[in-house]
Amino acid sequence: MKQKANQRKSGEYIRRSRGDRIADIIINIWMIILLCFFLYPLLNMISISVSADSAVLGAQVTFFPIGFQTSAYSSILTSPDLWRSFGNTIFVAGIGCGLSLIGLSMAAYPLAFGGKFYGRKLYNIFILFTMWFQGGMIPTFLTMTRLGLHNTFWSLIFNSLMSAYYVVIVRSYFESIPISIVESAHLDGANDFRILLQLIIPLSKPVLATVALWVIVSHWNDYLYPLMFISSREKYTLQLVLKEMVLNAETSTMNISMSTSSGSNIAAALGQQTKNAVLVVAMIPMCILYPFVQRYFVGGVMLGSVKG
Amino acid sequence: MVKTGKTAEHKGLSVINSPRRRQLIWNRIWRSRYIYLMILPVVAYFIIFKYVPMWFLRSGFYDYKLLKGFEGSKMVGFKWFERLLTNPDLFRYIKNTLTLNFAALFILFPQPLIFALLLNELRNKKFMKGIQTISYLPHFVSTVVLVSMITTLCSPSIGTIARFVKLMGGTPVNYLSEPRYFVMINVISGFWQSVGWDAVIYISTLAGIDQVLYEAAKIDGANRFQQVLHVSLPGLANTFVLLLIMQVGQLLNVNFEKVYLLQNTLNLSVSEMLPTFTYKTGMESHNYGYATAAGLFNSVISLILVVIANMVSRKVNEISLF
Repeated sequence: MKQKANQRKSGEYIRRSRGDRIADIIINIWMIILLCFFLYPLLNMISISVSADSAVLGAQVTFFPIGFQTSAYSSILTSPDLWRSFGNTIFVAGIGCGLSLIGLSMAAYPLAFGGKFYGRKLYNIFILFTMWFQGGMIPTFLTMTRLGLHNTFWSLIFNSLMSAYYVVIVRSYFESIPISIVESAHLDGANDFRILLQLIIPLSKPVLATVALWVIVSHWNDYLYPLMFISSREKYTLQLVLKEMVLNAETSTMNISMSTSSGSNIAAALGQQTKNAVLVVAMIPMCILYPFVQRYFVGGVMLGSVKG
Repeated sequence: MVKTGKTAEHKGLSVINSPRRRQLIWNRIWRSRYIYLMILPVVAYFIIFKYVPMWFLRSGFYDYKLLKGFEGSKMVGFKWFERLLTNPDLFRYIKNTLTLNFAALFILFPQPLIFALLLNELRNKKFMKGIQTISYLPHFVSTVVLVSMITTLCSPSIGTIARFVKLMGGTPVNYLSEPRYFVMINVISGFWQSVGWDAVIYISTLAGIDQVLYEAAKIDGANRFQQVLHVSLPGLANTFVLLLIMQVGQLLNVNFEKVYLLQNTLNLSVSEMLPTFTYKTGMESHNYGYATAAGLFNSVISLILVVIANMVSRKVNEISLF
């Protein structure tokens, strides 16, 4: 053993044991298998959307496209429904994200820097209680309807504007900021709103970026609440339109694949290509954002775990 | 010490109504005026959008009509709860809810830990980083997209699984319509979507383990497997238990969207859970009272599970090995 330690110190190459090398090989192979597993459904989706008709219907498309055509894309990119839903979703996610950040900062500031104001404990419990107990799906729907927010974007925005979990995350980050900064600003005559706006928010960019991205992604991917709250077609969000287009494509494929004429085969293939093309188009914005934001996301997970 | 404390308190009580005391309290409130101003909209938001829905839970005792509200709806007492408890399908819903969630919990929960440990053993750090980045890509795929991908892959005519089965000499079926595959599909897709993301926290914890411990283990003659067993694993144990308890707490609420979207008439016998039943009763049959009652019932079961999890965790923490 000592010999090995000495070898390491002098920077010499350590010969690995045979068991070690076998373990390495097994782990590497397993990781490559997992890599394929993670990528396969996504690559398959992209490939089907651009492959030739016969390859699609014969289930020959796997990792890479067979043949190449873009007819599915040209048909969906002219669909007004899709573009409008993109606009709606961007609106909801944008406004929702902005209001969330303002609201969460204002919710967390008193807990982190408010000192011992009367009612602090009550306020804390008041917020944390909603983490453990909620009204649930149907009562939330009834409330929104009662408030007259049914079939408006505001129902989606307000429904996920703030949650106790986010407040806890923002607060625990705020608490890592030295309180002396706030105290000296108070002495200089700044009020709490000004301190929040000009000192705390600029210092809390990492946590606010993380929460902002979480909010945007959740709005982008949300299906259930739009399904409940939105009833008119021109207000449909992306996932609703997506689901509808996928369903249309699937039924057309199913109806047509019963018969066997070559004309209907083309239509059946187009149905599948369209379905997958729609999914690809819906994921593009996320994929563009992904490389830039994934570091923030990971940072956020650690922030959340601090509080456990 | 105790005595002086008491007298001070006594004094405090006697002067509580004195003008000077009131002045002091008022000063303290006035000093925090901006804090109260800041709290005001937050409290308003939480009352309107979090507490009012709780108040609306009483619609479980009404024959609630959407347009009339509570004033115009008839109070029916425990009618919906009685109907729910005498519903012959209730047992099946509960069973499916528990099966789907517990299968996911028991099979999926340890996976991120295993994934993180294996990832940590990779010698090529670039390869490790690459796999990690790709592994959490599925987390950002929406449920609608996920379910559409599952439908494509499971399709008997154009799906990859069907093609593979054909190659092996079998006859492909529509795997989504077969009740016996439903739990498996749910678990595998859950693995695909969450393993990389859930491993992030373990990977970060592993990175925080002091390298000296590994060196010491090596010097003591531990091989790689023993190092994992005696250094890495104990380092992750606390995180694991903590996450497990949190997971149990929200057990019955996960999976809803996916299961709802994966449902079809042929697999309903295994895919109808309490939450999906609640949703359909409310939003499709417009029986809001009944739906609220069913939702409340689901919350009660989940609450019981949380309490059990807490009890178990207290035990586990006491006999904690690490």
